[in-house]
Amino acid sequence: MNRKLQTVTRDDSLLDEPTSHFVSAASLRRRLEWFDKLRWGAVAGVVAATLVASRLLPAALPTGELLGVAAVLAGLNLAYTVRNRRIPPTRLKVELLHVKLQMAADLFLLTVMLNLSGGIENPLLYMYLIHVVIASLLFKGRDIFLIAWLAIFLFTADVAGEYFGLLPHHHLLSASPMTHEPPFILLTLASFWLVLLFAAYIGASIMKHNRAIKDELVERQRQLIAADKAKLDFFRFVTHEIKSPVATAQSAVDAALEVGGDDLPEQLRDILQRAHGRLSHAITMIMDLADFTRGGDMKREALEPVDLNVLIARIVDGLGDQAARRGISIAMDLPADQPRVMGHPGMLEKIIRNLVSNAVRYNRDGGRVDVQLELRPRQMVLKVSDEGIGIAPEDQEKVFDEFYRTEAARHMSNLGTGLGLPIVKRFTEQLGGTIELESEPGRGATFTVTLPRPRPAASAGEAT
Amino acid sequence: MNTERTILIIDDDIDLVEIIRMTLENEGYRVIDAQSGERGLQTAREKKPDLILLDVMMGAVDEGFQVAYELRGDAVTKDIPILMLTAVTEQTGFGFDPDKDQDFLPVDEFLEKPVSPRKLVDLVRKHLPTTA
Repeated sequence: MNRKLQTVTRDDSLLDEPTSHFVSAASLRRRLEWFDKLRWGAVAGVVAATLVASRLLPAALPTGELLGVAAVLAGLNLAYTVRNRRIPPTRLKVELLHVKLQMAADLFLLTVMLNLSGGIENPLLYMYLIHVVIASLLFKGRDIFLIAWLAIFLFTADVAGEYFGLLPHHHLLSASPMTHEPPFILLTLASFWLVLLFAAYIGASIMKHNRAIKDELVERQRQLIAADKAKLDFFRFVTHEIKSPVATAQSAVDAALEVGGDDLPEQLRDILQRAHGRLSHAITMIMDLADFTRGGDMKREALEPVDLNVLIARIVDGLGDQAARRGISIAMDLPADQPRVMGHPGMLEKIIRNLVSNAVRYNRDGGRVDVQLELRPRQMVLKVSDEGIGIAPEDQEKVFDEFYRTEAARHMSNLGTGLGLPIVKRFTEQLGGTIELESEPGRGATFTVTLPRPRPAASAGEAT
Repeated sequence: MNTERTILIIDDDIDLVEIIRMTLENEGYRVIDAQSGERGLQTAREKKPDLILLDVMMGAVDEGFQVAYELRGDAVTKDIPILMLTAVTEQTGFGFDPDKDQDFLPVDEFLEKPVSPRKLVDLVRKHLPTTA
């Protein structure tokens, strides 16, 4: 969970959004585009209903005017769609104003449509409710009620206007006397008001609650990012402060061994060699910690064309002695016709080196390591398999946690730092890739790293 | 056979200075030291050592580089080989690559800490001028 959040926040997209609204300009725009689609549906619905009604209903509806309303709605919607395509979403306020104006126009056209098709006789008056629901998805409390009141005003004005003869009334059904009785009209209007206001109230309450949750999530996320940064800063500090004394101590031990030469008593030599081993391990760990804290810095370095075949061959070559001592063979399956890929050489090297060196270290004697690289047009896929101790299912998530080492790994080698896989995972994610692990205890492990191939800055360098 | 050869260590880590001194004296070199860039420059001009071991990071992050540039800019010291001791390449993301950046770095070789005595001696031998 934590890790997911870290990757999300690398570009800080969530943090830039104002917490006072529950959408950003861009996400509101996506909603608007969805509304455009719904509105095309409404246009089609009005046209279809008008045509069907003009055939089936006994009363004569003003078909031409109704189709005219549909045409106006279609024209407006076309304008909205074009605007959405042409003008990128910038400010939330501007987008919100647009959606309010669009909604007011929708309500007005709905009212005209109802007026032309029976007014209070038309059960489609509940379409107003849909607008209130949509408003509560988008706005804060006051604005939801604003939409509800606008709907109430428009519909009531229409009904009153028709009743008092200020507006024409078109019968939906053959002049039914019931719908012209004041008690019926008042009852319908009252229930209409009640339903709309109640819907607005519920919508506002639910969304207020949702926003509170969302604000809290954003705050938690901020805290997580801050905690992660504090951890990295701490690692960086420790690395920086410890490397120098440890390196000096290492040099001292080496110098004592070197200068003492053959004159050193056996026991003393043995102790110094042990000290050398422990200090080497400490330095490896410090280096790993330094790598771990450095990914972000490395990523800011420019992309370079990298010959992965050469890089992998060099890493495998470097591990050759260590593998040969234990009879382990390393097989490479690399693309024959290798175009250079654009990448961060430092980070790619750390990813590959850590995986291959783990595959050797935790292999069985006489085992086999397979390093496979596949280049796809948009991705590169690196697979490193071994025949070693494997990783139990319950450990498969934890091996990517800092300093975690499985029981079997600790038993097998005291050289690991518990930072190799966390580095691999962190770098992979920083490069926008994913890592997968397949393993069974005692039957080896396969790590698959999939990285996106950055597009070359110029056409030079890559030919695919 | 190396008795005439003098090596100057410019490093503010007194322990490392003593360790290197022991290693190099054991090989028969004469070792002098300076514990700051400023004093290192002064000593280099006065004593004209045969080779300089220079720590990349003393007070400031790039103090070693500044010293190297000044040594190279001074007629008296410009030909003295410089081995630069560094913990930077792996550590702080300072971002230089000895292989790539050699052109504009005025030093002859980088030596990563921790300093291995054998490697140090080899490199000193390699870079010392053949005639004193």
